[in-house]
Amino acid sequence: MFHLQLIITAIRGLQQNLLRSTLATIGVIIGVGAVVSAVSILQGAQRDVLDQFESLGADQLIVVDGKREHGGVTSSVQALVPGDAEKIQQEYPDLILRVSPQYQGAGQIKYFQQNVNGFVLGVTETYAPMNSYEVEIGRFITRADVRGSTMVTVLGYGVAKDLFGALPAVGKNVKINGKSFVVIGVMEKKGTLGFLNVDEQAIIPLSTSMSRMFGQKYLSMLNVQCASATAIPACMEGVKKTLRVSHRIRSGSKDDFTIYTQEEMKQRFAQVAKIFGVVLYSIAGISLLVGAIGIMNIMLVSVTERTREIGVRLAVGARRFDILKQFLIEASIISLFGGALGVVAGWAMANFLGEFTQVIKTYTPPSIILASLIMAIFVGVVSGIYPAIRAARLDPVQALRYE
Amino acid sequence: MIRASQISKHYHMGDSTVRALDCVDLHIPQGQFVSIIGSSGSGKSTMMHLIGCLDHPTSGTIEIHGQDVNAMSEKRMALLRNNEIGFVFQTFNLISRTTALDNVVVPLMYTRKSFSTKPAIQALERVGLSKRIKHKPSEMSGGECQRVAIARAIVNKPKLLLADEPTGNLDTKTGTQIMDIVHELHAEGMTVVLVTHEMDIAVQAERMIEMKDGKIVADTAVDAARRAEILTLNHEAHQSLFRKKSLHSPSSKPLPPQMEAK
Repeated sequence: MFHLQLIITAIRGLQQNLLRSTLATIGVIIGVGAVVSAVSILQGAQRDVLDQFESLGADQLIVVDGKREHGGVTSSVQALVPGDAEKIQQEYPDLILRVSPQYQGAGQIKYFQQNVNGFVLGVTETYAPMNSYEVEIGRFITRADVRGSTMVTVLGYGVAKDLFGALPAVGKNVKINGKSFVVIGVMEKKGTLGFLNVDEQAIIPLSTSMSRMFGQKYLSMLNVQCASATAIPACMEGVKKTLRVSHRIRSGSKDDFTIYTQEEMKQRFAQVAKIFGVVLYSIAGISLLVGAIGIMNIMLVSVTERTREIGVRLAVGARRFDILKQFLIEASIISLFGGALGVVAGWAMANFLGEFTQVIKTYTPPSIILASLIMAIFVGVVSGIYPAIRAARLDPVQALRYE
Repeated sequence: MIRASQISKHYHMGDSTVRALDCVDLHIPQGQFVSIIGSSGSGKSTMMHLIGCLDHPTSGTIEIHGQDVNAMSEKRMALLRNNEIGFVFQTFNLISRTTALDNVVVPLMYTRKSFSTKPAIQALERVGLSKRIKHKPSEMSGGECQRVAIARAIVNKPKLLLADEPTGNLDTKTGTQIMDIVHELHAEGMTVVLVTHEMDIAVQAERMIEMKDGKIVADTAVDAARRAEILTLNHEAHQSLFRKKSLHSPSSKPLPPQMEAK
């Protein structure tokens, strides 16, 4: 039997019950789509986060809220205050280059009819030099701005572009969460830094952010830049000591803060990613399994329904192997077609999620496309083989009599 | 040419064994038109399946065109069915939702030659359906469906045509048209084995084999005179009565007196 003819026959066989074939195909689309989007999301997140860790710099420490365990429940303890930053800096002027306290919040930034939903980042003057993040036009926030809680803002590149286009932004008044701010500068294009797309944020003085905007007492984060990467252990020790004194923690009690190094965060993230990976891949795998069961079910029904046809084919000279091939090819067409559409659907789904949430960055590795198609064919063959064997084993005499 | 010697076919139904065929000898020379008649369960269909290489006998040997079926592999049997045997069924057994042409093409797909739809078109022309090539079975009458089935049976130019109640699902007029085609194919040199339980169809053959309980109970050469005689009988007398009388009359004999009396 010729292969082209075989494929045409298989397609006609599938056309005979288009609805059922379509439903089986949808099963595969969902299965493969789930795999592709899971991989895209995971790979994207991994890349994104690792990039950000890299951008943090190996000489930096990150101090965040501590953890408290109470009756098996872990909760975070907010304890970091702006004053901690100054204390750390004063205690270890040689070990520590800069300290950058930060408060992050969501914000709508508006200029007349234009508005951007982004982040509002409250920082001190140390933020820009610490991250080698430069002002493109205008100036950055100064110590005086922080002291005076002035209503000034430095816009991220993307925000400035969205609100003003090609027009100059500096000197204009924008509204951030309804409050009026004067634009004093626009940052360079940077992309992501410290887990955020900094192009999509408005930077304001820390004090303004905490008291006048969000009414918060505690920082979201404290970045510490050590004199060198080798000084990190000593730095950590110093920061810890200072904060314990500042927070009046008695010896023997636990810290109410957590200090991470870049390396530690990477490792922690890798662990989290692993767990997420297992969960995502399991769900995707189950979807694929369901898709495979769908194909098998359709093929079994198809074999039963076409018993007479199989009998006729055997009577007019089909070998059992020809029948086996016919049904295997039918299953493979469903799975390959579903697989191809599934790759597209998965990729679209991942991108949609990425666009929609603005948090997830997705990356679809080219290898996954090939892997998905191979996987799809594998699913088709595995789920089609049993029905195909059943078809091929039919006794022609019995098959011809089948009602 | 078909030569069956001492063939039996037994089926196991639970604990009991059904002897569908019981030590039957049969020789059909090339080009003969043979009808096999019998009631259901007489073994006539089993006989046809064995001749058609769809099944192996439980015991005994069958030779089709000089080849021993028992010694054949599954592959070889498939090839024999494809090249040398054409099947026609009572219920047509067309693949629904595909066109007449697609149905006739099916045997061509399993030949080892290069594929072309030309023989299929020719076969459809041969049965007078050149205008119905693109029609689906659901769009055709029973007679047309059966003609498609005949086209499918002859598309590979087999030497042997096996027809299982080909007129069973058709009215008399359409049945006659189908039989006309069968006669034409026979006239062209094809061996025809026709299974039926209708006497007026069976007598159209050159030779009539009657089966009962897995055995051949009568093997009659049929000429014009005999044909008329049997048909008269068939119309007037009960079929079982005929069967009793013709039990040992392999050739035409004067009719029994009680028959003539009627």
